[in-house]
Amino acid sequence: MRQPVKKTLLILLAVVLAILFLIPLFWMVMTSFKNDFEAIAGGLNWFPKNFTFENYTYTLLSQSINVPIFKWMFNSLFVGIVGSGIIVTVDSMAAYGLARLDVPFKKYLFPLFISTLMIPFVITFLPLYMQFSNLGLLNTYMALIFPYTANAFGVFLLYQFFRGFPKELEEAARLDGANKWQIFIKVVVPSARPIMWTLAIFSFMTIYNDFLWPLVATNTPEMRTITTGIAIMQQGSFVSSYGKLMALTTIATIPIVIVFLIGQKQLIKGITQTGIK
Amino acid sequence: MTNQTSNKQLMKQVGLSKSIVRSNRRSKATSFLFVLPYLLLFGSFLFFPLIYGIYISFHDYNLLSKDHVFIGFENYIRIFTPDTALSSLFFEGLLKTFQFVIFSVPLLVIVGLGLALLLNSLPGKIRTFFRTVYFIPYAISVSVISIIFLWILDTNSGLLNNYLMQLGFDPVPWLTKQPFAWISLVLATVWWTIGFNMIIFINALNEVPEDMYEAASIDGASAWQKFYRITLPSIRPIMLFVVITSTIASFNVYGQPYLMTRGGPGDSTEVLLMGIVQQAFEQRELGSASAMAILMALIMIIVSVIQFKVSNATNKGGA
Repeated sequence: MRQPVKKTLLILLAVVLAILFLIPLFWMVMTSFKNDFEAIAGGLNWFPKNFTFENYTYTLLSQSINVPIFKWMFNSLFVGIVGSGIIVTVDSMAAYGLARLDVPFKKYLFPLFISTLMIPFVITFLPLYMQFSNLGLLNTYMALIFPYTANAFGVFLLYQFFRGFPKELEEAARLDGANKWQIFIKVVVPSARPIMWTLAIFSFMTIYNDFLWPLVATNTPEMRTITTGIAIMQQGSFVSSYGKLMALTTIATIPIVIVFLIGQKQLIKGITQTGIK
Repeated sequence: MTNQTSNKQLMKQVGLSKSIVRSNRRSKATSFLFVLPYLLLFGSFLFFPLIYGIYISFHDYNLLSKDHVFIGFENYIRIFTPDTALSSLFFEGLLKTFQFVIFSVPLLVIVGLGLALLLNSLPGKIRTFFRTVYFIPYAISVSVISIIFLWILDTNSGLLNNYLMQLGFDPVPWLTKQPFAWISLVLATVWWTIGFNMIIFINALNEVPEDMYEAASIDGASAWQKFYRITLPSIRPIMLFVVITSTIASFNVYGQPYLMTRGGPGDSTEVLLMGIVQQAFEQRELGSASAMAILMALIMIIVSVIQFKVSNATNKGGA
């Protein structure tokens, strides 16, 4: 008798929590369909009284405001995709080399890389700013991409995978006369695909959602990413137009939530594998 | 004759070992090419900035002037000289960062574990659904989170105060008075990032051997006893991992106070990272800002090491 009651109560608790977790997002989407007057008035109407798309048409299409929102979206997606592409390619090569090949000095290289995982970003972001500034490369995609590619997280994650990878497959390919590159591309990469996707999704989310670095690395409206662009709008022309702000945030949130829902499994795998093992 | 053949053999062997050395060298060179691209990125965008940052911190490095004079430890000394503007910027910022860490980390750990326990006690099918729901906010960027919460917590027309007023309460100045500003920042942070810790805890709970619980049940242990005697000790290393990663994340807090409270009310939520950014880009004093950043990083590393040591010591004491 007690077990079912307890189970029902737990499910009830889970539902209440789920509602609490979803309310902010629901409120965001609903506010984006309210006109400014209704939005500012606040109130408790969960559904807009006068359902309108005007916030979306205004943010996306209006010529009267200087909001290059498509450019921001493009910047964020481009930087996220290219950045995670570089990270996955470069990190998998390095991790495989360090885990399996006769890389000179690997006894020192791997600990050197891993020890930097302890180093907080705060220590490098000012010199990175100076570095890009000295080279005249602020407000470029290079500045928005490269700093993320130096992180040793991916090398660490993939190194662990390659250490546990069965040697027999490589041996068989070697006996067939394949060289290291062929073995890597034809044998190793295909079997490492899931973990590489994990790293790709992780990196994409980190880059797409990062705030401080794109904020200091860019200062022209066209080179902002969507997260920094939104922040600028919130402090600027949209300061109290919550309907329009919410349309903007909804647009910014859709791609990342889609990536999240598709890649959730991989992401969870990545998080648990970086936990202490 | 025999001498000649053995000589020939010897020559062959030498040639062979030379070619082994050569092929060995070539093999190493090929292998090195695998690591080279990452090594270049690592060197240019992590190792070099690290050294460069230390270099800058030893200079009077104003962004507007061309000359950057070497001043040794002067920037650090100024930070540690009481009653200078720099020292109060650093230590007041540090105090606020510590406040945020102390308010947020216990919640991030306890709520994360609580959600994981709740999910694990649900039937399998709906468990995945609720896990996704609790995890979604983690995917969203800090500027979006901040704007949503700014609006919900708005004093005059925010959703929360509207409900409170309907229930007959006075509106609460969530973002403009303390302690509410801290409560709001912590609330938004927990809502945003708790999914990450939850996932780690779910995994840790799943790795506790089932037969330990069964044995405890046979001995007549209550649910609370099982949690306290079996679950907690088994997930201890993961708990430490979560505490350390949450502490580091909370140390790095920037977006939430920058966007939600703008450091206010007054400068009560102006955390250290905001002070560093201000010193670098408003005062344009990159040298002292770098010194502040390096000290902050050192403090973070020291705090992590202390957490690790304390946890290890109590672990040994308990066992």
